[in-house]
Amino acid sequence: MDDRRRRFEAQALPHLDAAYNLARWLSRSPTDADDIVQDAMLRAFRAFDGFRGGDIKAWLLTIVRNCWLSAGAATRRRGHTSLEDQELEAPESDPETTAIQAGAKRRLDAMIAQLPQEFREVLILREMEDMSYREIADITGVPIGTVMSRLARARATLREAARDCL
Amino acid sequence: MNCTEILHTQSYLDGELDGAEAATAERHLETCAECQALAAATADLSDALRKVPRHRAPDTLRHRLTKQLDRETRRTPAKSFWVGAASGGGLSALAAGFALFLLLPPTAASLSQSVVDAHTAALTSQKTIMVASSSHHTVKPWLAAHAGISPPVTDFTEQGFVLTGGRTDEVAGNRAAVAVYRHGNHEVDLFAWPDRGTKLPEPGMARGFRMTFWKSGDLDYAAVSDVDAAAFQKFVALAKNQRE
Repeated sequence: MDDRRRRFEAQALPHLDAAYNLARWLSRSPTDADDIVQDAMLRAFRAFDGFRGGDIKAWLLTIVRNCWLSAGAATRRRGHTSLEDQELEAPESDPETTAIQAGAKRRLDAMIAQLPQEFREVLILREMEDMSYREIADITGVPIGTVMSRLARARATLREAARDCL
Repeated sequence: MNCTEILHTQSYLDGELDGAEAATAERHLETCAECQALAAATADLSDALRKVPRHRAPDTLRHRLTKQLDRETRRTPAKSFWVGAASGGGLSALAAGFALFLLLPPTAASLSQSVVDAHTAALTSQKTIMVASSSHHTVKPWLAAHAGISPPVTDFTEQGFVLTGGRTDEVAGNRAAVAVYRHGNHEVDLFAWPDRGTKLPEPGMARGFRMTFWKSGDLDYAAVSDVDAAAFQKFVALAKNQRE
């Protein structure tokens, strides 16, 4: 295996789940998430020589988000709506979780999925991927102040919606 | 929502502030009921969100990626790492896990490993404390004398983390000062060692312990514990914002 590929796999592979998680929450579709991540990893590999250190996770997630945006644009050109095959099925089952907790989680899952996209993405990046405000601002291409207000709105909306299951 | 400081408080809770800004936010939080309510609600929400399982990349996707990268590099390796990682069989999954460990940036991987090793070794030997004291006036000079560095030491009893003592330990070949705290039945270790420009690992979990690393002044810090996410975040925020 050539060195460039080895370095790419060593650095990018640990973040494949993060890439997939973001794609999944953005597209709300397992099929689309697969395509988006595959496309993103290929673009990342081709652009890898241009990546000069820094945070590879933030770099990869930026590419994932861009791929999701262009996939959405392509779908719209074909006359489909990008939310057509959205599904809110239960996440992978956790044997240690009781049915009640699983129900609460599933509801929370569905509530996140229903947040407007600009709120959903900052919430996922902050709460699931532990990204800093600066990194979220870079990934989503908005100023830090906007990240802060969107995060506050996302949390307030979710708290309100999830009042019963928290 | 009437408080004009609410976004500032949120930044503080998210660990985005340090130094004077954090101190200002902390003072405000002490007196503002609205921000206190926000702090409690945000912690509850974070805790609930961290229990929502992250979607994991399916094996089929890893297979497709391998094939795609093979085409891209125009060379087909006998068995690439992606295939090993994706095959899911007991032995190859083990091998893939091992390969992943080897392939991680050595500094980050060995630091995480080293901190968890030190923490678990201390727990299992029950020698977590070399100097027992709930007073930072005792622990801080002891650490300075025995570890050769003098990180800030603060008792956070009022915030739920009781300072129980300190010890010296070793992190990736460096002598480290450890302040030891208790939270309910859980121990929280706060490691500090001289910053040698090493890139620190991302926050994460290893063997059931949460870890967060950061730099401050000329020291590298790591907090490690098996407390829940909300408590851990609270501790990290406190530890990051303590004053010399």
